[in-house]
Amino acid sequence: MSKIRVENLTKIFGKHPKKILQNVEKGMTREEIFKMTGQTVGISKVNFSVNEGETFVIMGLSGSGKSTLIRCLNLLNKPTAGKIFVDDENIIDYDKKELREFRRNKIAMVFQHFGLFSHKTVIENVEFGLEVKGLSKEERYDISKETLQAVGLKGWENFRISELSGGMKQRVGLARALANDPEIILMDEPFSALDPLIRRDMHSELLDLQSKMKKTIVFITHDVNEAFKLGDRVAVLKDGEIVQIDTPEEIIENPANDYIKNFVRDIDRSRILKAENVMKKAAIKFGKALQPKIAITLLEEADVDYGFIIQRETSKLEGIITIDDLALAVKQKKTIEELMHSDYKAVHKDVYIKEIIEIALDTKYPIAVLNDNEEFIGRIHRGTLLKALI
Amino acid sequence: MFEFPQIFEFKIGKVVESFVEWLTINYAGFFDSIKTGILFVLLKMQMIFEWIPWFVIIGIVFLVGWKVKGLKSGIAYTIMLFLIGVMGYWDQMIMTISIVLAAVIISLVLGIPLGIISAYKKRVDIILRPMLDAMQTMPSFVYLIPAIMLFGLGMVPAVFATTIYSLPPVIRLTTLAINSVSKEMKEASQSFGATPLQTLIKVEIPQALPTIMTGVNQTTMMAMAMVVVASMIGSKGLGYSVLIAINRTDIAMGFESGLSIVFLAIIIDRLTQSIGTKYKYD
Amino acid sequence: MKKFNKRFFLFFLVLSLILVVTACSSGIEADKEVVEVEKDTVIFGDAGWDSIRLHNAIAGFILENGYGYETEIMPGSSINLLEGMISGDINVMMEMWQDNFIAYKKSREIGEVIELGTNFDDNAQGLYVPRYLIEGDAERGIKALAPDLKTVEDLKKYANLFPDAEDPGRAIIYNGPPSWEATTIIDIKSEFYGLTEDYNIVGTGTSAALAASLSAAYVKGEPWVGYYWEPTWISGKYDLVLLEEAPFDESLWTEEESYACEFKSSDVTIAVNPEFADRNPEVIEFLTNYTTSSLLTAQALAYMQENDASIDEAAKWFIGENEDLWKNWVPEDVYSKVMAALE
Repeated sequence: MSKIRVENLTKIFGKHPKKILQNVEKGMTREEIFKMTGQTVGISKVNFSVNEGETFVIMGLSGSGKSTLIRCLNLLNKPTAGKIFVDDENIIDYDKKELREFRRNKIAMVFQHFGLFSHKTVIENVEFGLEVKGLSKEERYDISKETLQAVGLKGWENFRISELSGGMKQRVGLARALANDPEIILMDEPFSALDPLIRRDMHSELLDLQSKMKKTIVFITHDVNEAFKLGDRVAVLKDGEIVQIDTPEEIIENPANDYIKNFVRDIDRSRILKAENVMKKAAIKFGKALQPKIAITLLEEADVDYGFIIQRETSKLEGIITIDDLALAVKQKKTIEELMHSDYKAVHKDVYIKEIIEIALDTKYPIAVLNDNEEFIGRIHRGTLLKALI
Repeated sequence: MFEFPQIFEFKIGKVVESFVEWLTINYAGFFDSIKTGILFVLLKMQMIFEWIPWFVIIGIVFLVGWKVKGLKSGIAYTIMLFLIGVMGYWDQMIMTISIVLAAVIISLVLGIPLGIISAYKKRVDIILRPMLDAMQTMPSFVYLIPAIMLFGLGMVPAVFATTIYSLPPVIRLTTLAINSVSKEMKEASQSFGATPLQTLIKVEIPQALPTIMTGVNQTTMMAMAMVVVASMIGSKGLGYSVLIAINRTDIAMGFESGLSIVFLAIIIDRLTQSIGTKYKYD
Repeated sequence: MKKFNKRFFLFFLVLSLILVVTACSSGIEADKEVVEVEKDTVIFGDAGWDSIRLHNAIAGFILENGYGYETEIMPGSSINLLEGMISGDINVMMEMWQDNFIAYKKSREIGEVIELGTNFDDNAQGLYVPRYLIEGDAERGIKALAPDLKTVEDLKKYANLFPDAEDPGRAIIYNGPPSWEATTIIDIKSEFYGLTEDYNIVGTGTSAALAASLSAAYVKGEPWVGYYWEPTWISGKYDLVLLEEAPFDESLWTEEESYACEFKSSDVTIAVNPEFADRNPEVIEFLTNYTTSSLLTAQALAYMQENDASIDEAAKWFIGENEDLWKNWVPEDVYSKVMAALE
């Protein structure tokens, strides 16, 4: 079920946004509108939906409108047109009070430059959302203390913000958002101000937390690697419009256009692509009872050198056999079972290519890809690996 | 020489004059109640200061000076204050402090809210700006005379004149401070569902406080600068001693009372300044 | 764009026309002045109160138009102006209030300045109250609050009429600015009359402040008591009553005797710098003859206040009104020149 659903969302900055809206509808580009009216189209007719418990990453270069977009989701920016449904309620129709309740209970935000209150201590910062809600001092202290512990800042409660490192600051930012126990967390380039090493730590920490919390996260970034690492699905934003929404693997495999192709070129594909993404589904499978002669015909017809021996009932892989082995079997009148190799390598479909490369070095056979039930679903050759990485 | 043609002449001042006179006659009650209010504060303050023994005041200044600036400064302030007493200007100093303090308090009470409003409302800011310029540059005697008409002679018009002069820095710096609170911080506050008032009280004002404290310091110094002018409309205190000295060409008295003002100004400046820096966060 | 240009052009045309016209007219005036022989510029001291400024303007007008001198006004406090006159930066002071100005007396004695004669001597000083306080003012609906107030000593009975807002329970008498001798004298007198039991004698920082406080009380019809003097525009415009004291007696007029009598009608004299006097005998002759009165001065000042006239206009008005008076101060030809300039 989708937690957030955005329909035709448009945000125009300037004095007369409604007028400009007509131009957007007529299909004028952002640049043309800016030249003509001096007003900026932040985002233009954006559609997407975010599933419950999903990490949805919106990726774009600076000026692409990603910050504008995320600020529309909690109405820090008032959209010019369009609808935003959260749990099937259009939040744009909220009055002031409803909006406050929505912000207090359902949604929280983490900011690029942390947005921490330098006049408050660490724990006072974390307490802020609860304080605004009107919780008692004790309640909010207890909750905040627990939350700080969860983000690894135990013992730092009474420090000043200025005494913390960048990474710690963003942990406070995260804790402040989490303390409210929101259903949705908006993260506006939360790690871009951090050192690369610290950023990596934060990534794993976030993934860790998320595996326990299962919040709906909307995450903004300009970093492709970050997007693909964290995102269950990624939306690529360009000039205020969404170019493609898909899983990271799908985007790499099937970029919607040259822009995205360019975008994903520099990324470390071996860390993104999984066995499932690069495997070839088409494979010659047969039972071990098949006559070698027939098996050879099958392989020759398909123009492949290998065949996979499958247990008919369970679809489980039993072994692998080359066309040369089969020829030998015919000559020596042996069965497939006698000559098949069981020292093949198999990987789960979610294993990253980076790991498969190492496995591939140890075997001369194609690598089998298995699903959760250990059923054979595809094969990977060394050549396929190389191609996937280019 | 090109003379400005007379046909263009129009007496704006005349309008103001009749307006002041009209106010004096028709709103006497209103201005009297303002006067009573200000006077009440002033007299209470003066009473308290007069009630505290001189050595206690010196002691407090020493302790505060020591705490916020260090031992040497504490001692220096003590000596300065003591010297004021030695020269025979203790009572005058107390009166001066009362007037300065009253003006500063009024400036803050009016200035901080006005500063906040003009930070929020661009239009108010645009209207306020030239008025603040006028308040700071208009020679004070120009509005002193109307002030006397409305409030009578003495401390009240002195406080009024001093306030007019010392209000602008509070307003300006408050506006500046509120405007320069980081956008993300404001957004953060909003994003948690804070009401505008909550954002103002919990985030914007605390964030603006260091700058506002600078404003308080400036305001106090400006109020100090006005004490001689204030004495010209019959307010007592150090300024009046200076005025007498000037009029009598009494160099000794002029020097002593002038020096007392300098000492007092130094002490007030350093104390308010260091209290201001205590508020800095980062 | 085109439209704007046109308007702009028109505006400039009108502006330049105005400028040319005014330039021409002032040019003609300038031509006249060139005819005169160059003479000393007469510098008057302006001590800040109205009557001295009026007399500066009257004497200045006559000197400029009748004798052909340039005149200048130098503002300052009386003490600074005295210094200036001794050093020669200032040539003439039209009003020297003898009895209020000890430093001047000394300078006159040692010859640092020369006294030319009395400008007026029918002046008065002392404690004044508005007349409505004693007699009421039916027209403004003011009741007589102090019908029996006649003398300074009577003030004791009426202390409740003049509350001091800054000192609850006590009354207030507004005194002159500090450094005026009269201010000190009022202090001493008040002590003598026993007024200080109920009254605070409060010095007003400047004469302007004193005038403003009286003025504010007067327009509101409120009680007011304080030091004032005549002639001023205040005494010309407002109906004030001088509270009585014992007649002036030289023997009482000392600090030991607490100045326990009325102020002597002070000689207000004209003083000049000695070197200037040597160089300009005709100016000295004119200033020696220059004699007016408190009444005449107060009338001119009241005229100025009522008609919102400038000091120069008031001076012209004075010259026009008192032709018979000043005719005797100057030679025939000067008289006719001044009269011509008046029209």
